[in-house]
Amino acid sequence: MRYGQIFLIATVLMLSGCASKPVPVVMSFPDVPEDLKVACPDLGVLPVDTDKLSDVIGNVADNYTKYHECRARVDNWNDWYNTQKQIFDRVK
Amino acid sequence: MWMLSFIPDSWLYLATIAIMVLGVVTYLATYLFQFYKPALLIQTPVRVAAVVITIAGVYFFGSYNTEVEWRKRVEEVQAKVAAAEAAGKAANDKLAKAGKQKVKVIHQRQVVIHERIKTITTKIDAECKVDPDAVHILNSAAKYPLAPKKDNK
Repeated sequence: MRYGQIFLIATVLMLSGCASKPVPVVMSFPDVPEDLKVACPDLGVLPVDTDKLSDVIGNVADNYTKYHECRARVDNWNDWYNTQKQIFDRVK
Repeated sequence: MWMLSFIPDSWLYLATIAIMVLGVVTYLATYLFQFYKPALLIQTPVRVAAVVITIAGVYFFGSYNTEVEWRKRVEEVQAKVAAAEAAGKAANDKLAKAGKQKVKVIHQRQVVIHERIKTITTKIDAECKVDPDAVHILNSAAKYPLAPKKDNK
């Protein structure tokens, strides 16, 4: 019994030498590029005295452009996130 | 312990092996004490010391190997992180370039649309007069409904 206890303690002592510690290298998720942080602009409005259809169409076309720009930014945001996440997950 | 880092790894490895061998050899040597009767008095303490030395040797051997494995793992992870950071930067550059190209295409399209509007301005303005209510409705639709109240006048 005494020898058994000594053997057990000795084994624990020897095995404690093999205790490993965690790797202290951590990768942080990269910051979002500044141009993707820009909020979508407000849509343009017409002067209240507008009566020309060409002005209305021009305004609508400008607003469509603003939407397309905003859509492109959202698409870029998603592309950026998916790409960076894929790269980030590879390190784990 | 930090002073150990100045000692070459191969020396540390040999030292751990030497401690284990010393313990085992010392223990085996105690069997020779029976041929020299006075030495039998110290046989048990020497055996205990030999066992302690062997245990310490095994402990150091395990510690050394764990340390080496840990350093290797740290180097691997550092290399992976460096590669990932480089890949992330390259991806950012590529996305920024693609983003600029998208904006360029959108603006080019806007210019074309405005040119087309100019060509028909006289015709459509002559045929149609926009009612102020229509402008009001269009402006209401253009305003962001969730904007703070002061901006939503």
